[in-house]
Amino acid sequence: MKTLTPPEKTQVHNVGMAQIAVVPEADIARSVLGSCIGLVLNHSARNLSAFAHIVLPRGEGRDGPPGKFADTAIPHMLELLRRERAGRSGLVAKMAGGASMFGGSGPIQIGRANDEAVCEILDKYNISIVGRHVGGQKGRRVTFDGGTGELQIEVAGEQTVAL
Amino acid sequence: MSAETITRPSLETLTELFRSATVHASKAMADWTQGHVALSLEELQERPLEQLSASIDMGNDLMTMVVLGVQGEMDGQLILAFDEEDGRKLAAGLLQRDVNDDPEWSPLEKSALMETGNILASAYLNALTQLTGYKLLPSAPYFLQDYGASVLEQALMTQAMVTDHILVCSTRFLFNHQNVNWSVFFVPSQELLHVLGREPTAVSPA
Repeated sequence: MKTLTPPEKTQVHNVGMAQIAVVPEADIARSVLGSCIGLVLNHSARNLSAFAHIVLPRGEGRDGPPGKFADTAIPHMLELLRRERAGRSGLVAKMAGGASMFGGSGPIQIGRANDEAVCEILDKYNISIVGRHVGGQKGRRVTFDGGTGELQIEVAGEQTVAL
Repeated sequence: MSAETITRPSLETLTELFRSATVHASKAMADWTQGHVALSLEELQERPLEQLSASIDMGNDLMTMVVLGVQGEMDGQLILAFDEEDGRKLAAGLLQRDVNDDPEWSPLEKSALMETGNILASAYLNALTQLTGYKLLPSAPYFLQDYGASVLEQALMTQAMVTDHILVCSTRFLFNHQNVNWSVFFVPSQELLHVLGREPTAVSPA
């Protein structure tokens, strides 16, 4: 007799600042970004991804979870994926965020610094960036689908973009 | 500048300071709205960034906001945030008109909200000036519709770049004695927090 197994329930990971989520095929990750970077490392052959909400470019010995800084988040994402047998070979990256939202006031360079740090570190690990939607002066609401590998980006008053 | 080079006043000292400033701001808002709006200090919280972003739930939807900075070297951001419905109600009340259901905000509605932000920030910073002796002035307000969490995230960067524990002052609003979904968040820079804890010195009112 053929046994039918019900599909696993989709889990939605709301990834807050400095958090990292491992996103299996059935799951979805969401985040709202300003100057931070939402980074996806996707291993399509293993149907597994990691999503990080990176706040600052470099830790330089500061306290905080690994997801807070680009230079600690990316190695930690690689380790989390490796533990699930998704090695570095076959990984691709998609990223969004890095806005400078307050025009002439506030720390306007941090979004750009985050973008540059993430790109530099991914390059060091030979991970290709296959989708990138960064900069500007508006926030982004992003949704990553672990099944399709698509990163959907919503910006107020603009058409939704899919990477 | 590293976090270690700055001595920050105690949370109790800052709470009393911000409570006094909120009382001044509430009086100014009551004058501006003919007594319809009052505000009080909800919480002054200091937490690691990752915990703070979880504790301040701005939702995932678009919000209407007025953002002002603190002029000069001190830096800091004040964010006045509304959901669409409540923002429209306030604008309509101030303009003594019916609530506008046009998806686009009119220049007059935007102006009413920006002026509200200006009055609130001026009263708040004036009070802090009187209490601390350090002259603080708000920048020009600007209106934006964006994701609340994005804007708050950017404001938090003022502190996050130099310290791992972030301090945010949040305020509760009453509109005709009812709680409403309006929020004010004030995120001072580390330098501003430092001067807020100093002994008062004489200064002309801003």
